[in-house]
Amino acid sequence: MKNVILLIIFTVLLQATGFQIEHNFKKALLKAKTQNKEVMMMYSAVWCPECNYMKDVAFKNTEVSKYIQKHFIVISLDIQKDKLPKGFDYVGIPTFFFIDSNTKLIGKIIGGDRADRFLKKLKSIR
Amino acid sequence: MKKIFLSIMICTNLLLAFNASDLKKVKEDGDCPKCDLSYADLRGIDLTMSDFTDANLTHANLANTLAHKADFSRADLSYATFESSNVKGALFVNATLKNVNFFQARIWKGNFSNADIYKCNFDESALGSAIFKNNNLSNSTFQGTILYKTIFKKNVTGIPK
Repeated sequence: MKNVILLIIFTVLLQATGFQIEHNFKKALLKAKTQNKEVMMMYSAVWCPECNYMKDVAFKNTEVSKYIQKHFIVISLDIQKDKLPKGFDYVGIPTFFFIDSNTKLIGKIIGGDRADRFLKKLKSIR
Repeated sequence: MKKIFLSIMICTNLLLAFNASDLKKVKEDGDCPKCDLSYADLRGIDLTMSDFTDANLTHANLANTLAHKADFSRADLSYATFESSNVKGALFVNATLKNVNFFQARIWKGNFSNADIYKCNFDESALGSAIFKNNNLSNSTFQGTILYKTIFKKNVTGIPK
């Protein structure tokens, strides 16, 4: 029963954003390596309206969603609940870290933005 | 000679409309309540959690500043610019905001309650979860603005003339 509920939640989330959001750093890195993609790691918190806007609005934009799905493995970590990987400092949330499969930081976006502008920033990173 | 002297005096006054010691105070302490910072160039300065309550910031340039949770309550910000600045959680309660430029500013959770807003440019800014209460927004522009969960309460709105 638990698995069925989890599967439903997973399906709903996948449909909502168009891409899957991971919550495990190592798993995301491994996935990126096997799929020849980069990792987009988002630091957020439930009380952060800017983070929620990105998840609720910007990530649901078709172009943004397609681009992310094509190039990145997405991982979202709650700065208060999750264990954060070492070496990725942040001054505010949301912060997006772009990491290659060798854990090398290739780019960073600080703050959320409207879908069209966020897409431009994403394209400048790759 | 007299005319040249007078011109220099006028120009100096125009360039240094703010109080020099107040500007020094801002740069050193960050806080400057009731200060005269009119025409001050505060571009790119970190003003996080600074106190500008009751300050005179008319014509001040705050473009590209980082002013998280700064307090501009009751301050006069007429003709000031906040273009591309980051003023998340800033307080503009009871502030005078006439002809203020907030173009592309990030004002998430900003509080504009009872602010005297007139002809402000909020175009392409991010006003998510910001609070607008008891404002007249009829002459201000909000093109391409993020209004995600923005609270509008008891405002006068309309099409600008």
